[in-house]
Amino acid sequence: MAGRNTGFQPISSGATNLLFVAPAMILFGLFVLWPLGSSVYYAFTSWSGYTKPEWVGLDNFRRAIFHDPVHIASYLHVTLYILGTLVLEVSFGLVMAVVLNSDRAGFSIMRGMFFSPMVLSMTAAGVLWAFVLDYRLGLLNSVLRGVGLDDWAQPWLSQPATALIAIMFVSGWRFSGFYMVIFFAALRRIPRSIYEAATLDGATPIKQFFTITLPLLRQQMLTCVLLAVTGGFAGFDLFFTMTNGGPFDATQVPATWIIRQGFDNNQLGYATAMTVILAVVVLIVAVVYLRVTERGNHVRY
Amino acid sequence: MTLVSRLAATCAMALLAASSALADVELRITHPISSGAGKDAFDKIVAAFEAANPGVTVKQIVFDDDIYSDTGLITQLQSNEVPDIYFQWAGYPMQRDAQAGYAGDLTAAMADGWKDTFIDSAFAPGSGTSVDGKIYLVPVSLDVTNTLWYNKSIFAENNLTPPATWDEFLAAIKVLVAAGETPIITGNNELWPLGNWASHIAARTVPAAEYDAAFRQQKTFAEAGFLKPLELMQQLAEAGAFNKDMQGLGADPAMAGFFQEAAVMHPIGSWLVGSEGDLAAPGFAYGQFDTPVIDPSLPGSKSVIGTMTGFIQHAKAAHPAEATAFLKFLTAQDQAILWSTSGAISPVKGVADKAKLPVQMKGMADMLAGADAMVSPPDTTYPVPVAEAYYQAAAYAASGERSATDALKWLDETVGAMPKP
Amino acid sequence: MSATDRRSGTEWLQLTLGGAIVCAMFYPAVWMVLSAFKTNREIFKHPFALPADWKWSNFAEAWDKGGLGGMYLNSLIVTAAAVTLTVCLATAAAFAFSRLEFPGRRWLYRLLLVGLLLPPPVVAIPLFAILRDLGLLNTLTALILAGTAWSLSLTIFILQGYFNSIRPDMEEAAMLEGANIWQIFRDISVPMVWPSMLTLAIVNTISIWNELMFALLFTVDDDKRTLPVGLIRFFGRYSTDYAMVFAALTITTLPILALYFLLQRHVIAGLSATAID
Repeated sequence: MAGRNTGFQPISSGATNLLFVAPAMILFGLFVLWPLGSSVYYAFTSWSGYTKPEWVGLDNFRRAIFHDPVHIASYLHVTLYILGTLVLEVSFGLVMAVVLNSDRAGFSIMRGMFFSPMVLSMTAAGVLWAFVLDYRLGLLNSVLRGVGLDDWAQPWLSQPATALIAIMFVSGWRFSGFYMVIFFAALRRIPRSIYEAATLDGATPIKQFFTITLPLLRQQMLTCVLLAVTGGFAGFDLFFTMTNGGPFDATQVPATWIIRQGFDNNQLGYATAMTVILAVVVLIVAVVYLRVTERGNHVRY
Repeated sequence: MTLVSRLAATCAMALLAASSALADVELRITHPISSGAGKDAFDKIVAAFEAANPGVTVKQIVFDDDIYSDTGLITQLQSNEVPDIYFQWAGYPMQRDAQAGYAGDLTAAMADGWKDTFIDSAFAPGSGTSVDGKIYLVPVSLDVTNTLWYNKSIFAENNLTPPATWDEFLAAIKVLVAAGETPIITGNNELWPLGNWASHIAARTVPAAEYDAAFRQQKTFAEAGFLKPLELMQQLAEAGAFNKDMQGLGADPAMAGFFQEAAVMHPIGSWLVGSEGDLAAPGFAYGQFDTPVIDPSLPGSKSVIGTMTGFIQHAKAAHPAEATAFLKFLTAQDQAILWSTSGAISPVKGVADKAKLPVQMKGMADMLAGADAMVSPPDTTYPVPVAEAYYQAAAYAASGERSATDALKWLDETVGAMPKP
Repeated sequence: MSATDRRSGTEWLQLTLGGAIVCAMFYPAVWMVLSAFKTNREIFKHPFALPADWKWSNFAEAWDKGGLGGMYLNSLIVTAAAVTLTVCLATAAAFAFSRLEFPGRRWLYRLLLVGLLLPPPVVAIPLFAILRDLGLLNTLTALILAGTAWSLSLTIFILQGYFNSIRPDMEEAAMLEGANIWQIFRDISVPMVWPSMLTLAIVNTISIWNELMFALLFTVDDDKRTLPVGLIRFFGRYSTDYAMVFAALTITTLPILALYFLLQRHVIAGLSATAID
């Protein structure tokens, strides 16, 4: 295979080359950038969706930031969710990548099975687990009652305390396969010779994990954390399907709260203002993160 | 050609044009009647209309209840193919549609005797079907929004009879808890099932003027005296009256739970009757009683909470003549009787006597007749965010999540932050 | 950890631990499929047993009542169109960003990255208004175009990285021989990145097939619904009938699951190859 490219070496110049990017950029502009721009306009209006928008200046922003405790709480919830994700998806995916890293028979199938929940939609996963977690008739509580742990059988999705955690676990169930695959690919690239040398030196597998594997996977881990964070802010499907933000707004995340205010309560201007805030927050987080992790990127074996 | 023959030719052409205008018309009707006996009845009515009007086909665009109210209707109203007719609740929703220009003015169509086929209160002031004397909504059902359904067998096993006062009600609940039953099941993840009941209770404890002022944000809920209804909710929570998964359960699963005898009582509206066929084992014995009297000294202590629902003809309907024809057909005697038999109380005169109402519906019709006032549910009378805030406060108190005092405080803080109407 | 040595203690640990975890994770799906064959009552009474009677009729009923046939068709149309469009447009654009110079190259690329970071909910409402003004509300076209637009960022990003990792030697040689850019693109560049295009097609298929929010907001008529939305409606309507819901879930997920297991090796290999470097 050809070697790595070390710099930008165009094979042609000129405005006609724009034709190659034009279709993509036009579509992107129409469906991503233009709505983004309009949302900045609508954010300053009061708009019920039934009637025309009316200019209200900064009112929506004032309300979102100072007078809407659920809005603020939604950021807390999404942060907790992201942290949970980092443990249940990224870390668990990493651990499983190591555990399933073998050329022996059966491991390929196991990796396939571990990844399979990714193929389901979040909706299907949400619906399935909503039934598994049902208080009266669900699988989980049946198991608990079956082994005599009656008291442990909770109304998982009806209590603020347990609802968010339940969603995190379902998310973990679905997404850990994705991170496993990414880490697995990176693990394959680590030459066996390093591990063999370490074993000869007397290092245990656990020690090898912490001193060899982790540092070499640093780049992947950083990228996965970024993916988990930006993906977490987008979280909607699972929350909508399983609890729709309840109980008592305990599982509201920015996306569900926005949709609730915009479509359920017919306050589209207000909802748009919140989407602008969301966009700003995500961009700031991403930029800060990228700056901080910029150094020390390239790995040499 | 002579004048006469020219006139004749013109008439013939006009007739031809008119009949071809009636031919191949597709009438778009959108509504949330998606299951149960009501759906069957509506389908029959549509089929009958199509049979009587060759050249007209009816396309029904159906959604589930909550999707209809959230996005289904509004997307339809703003698409480039608006529905000719759409389902709507009387009161605030109708008013908003009239102001936004979606609702068509049917006063003229009503004037030729159609209006007189309805009972008096259908178009009375406050009925929520007209604005400034102009009729926009054709009412089709009178819903009792909330009543207490109960399992007759379990009541009998525990020697209970429908309670007449709140104290009797609490006593009955304690008996049921001691017997290991779940007294009340409610599926409150959307807040309105319990919220409607809590509103009815509030209407029974708070004077009407204060109630109205609070929901219109002219007074705080505390000032209007809403602590009392929230305390009643708290009493229920402390007695262990509700199912534990109240806040995570949906309205339909809760109804199914009642029919499957997972609990003894279920506070929900008159439409429960339509689902009996789908969800109950044959011979399931159940009845209903109105919320017990709380404060006999208050006027409206025997009120019923209800609302009318019906259809609006879109102001920009593509086929207004056919649409009006359908609405007239729908509310004509035969069809109204068919509709009523499926489990609805009809506002068309004379139907209540002639229709073979299911036993349960008869009970409710009687209740309506014996009530001394009609209260409408807040979420169709007042701005939705305010109504839902009260529903949420009631849910806080009923689930034990917050005390009544804290719930009231939360309520006033939340409503206080909302823009005033 | 090699494939030829005798199994060591570590490897046994891997097998048992890995096996146990994987089985536990896979079990809910198995439970779902088995329960789809039972009656409701059976699901409550014997949740873990095999079905006494294999009720295939549940599936026919779910298919009928849920109108799953129509929804499958809609999902198929939207996904096929959107994925094809995405991969084609993205490859052309990635080629341009990597191999060609043109005015505004840097700025356009940065704009594209914005799409990578932003969550779709951010534009749901204005997009709703735009689609309404364009008369595209409640059409499959809206879903196709919106789905494509939102997949472009990631796809271009990855393809562009792939292009960058290959020296443009062959293309430069072709330039010198007098070929025009279009010919180079078609005959040299595309075949070069073909594996990556395929993998991205699969990845985009999964995400567009499962897309919920836009489908929920922008389509309304029953006959325009895609599978995720239909599933939610089904769940809402039949939330009391476990067997039916599971049957519907099985019908909607089993084909994709089966397809996945067939192509599994390629999917994982492809993802690993184009993964972040």
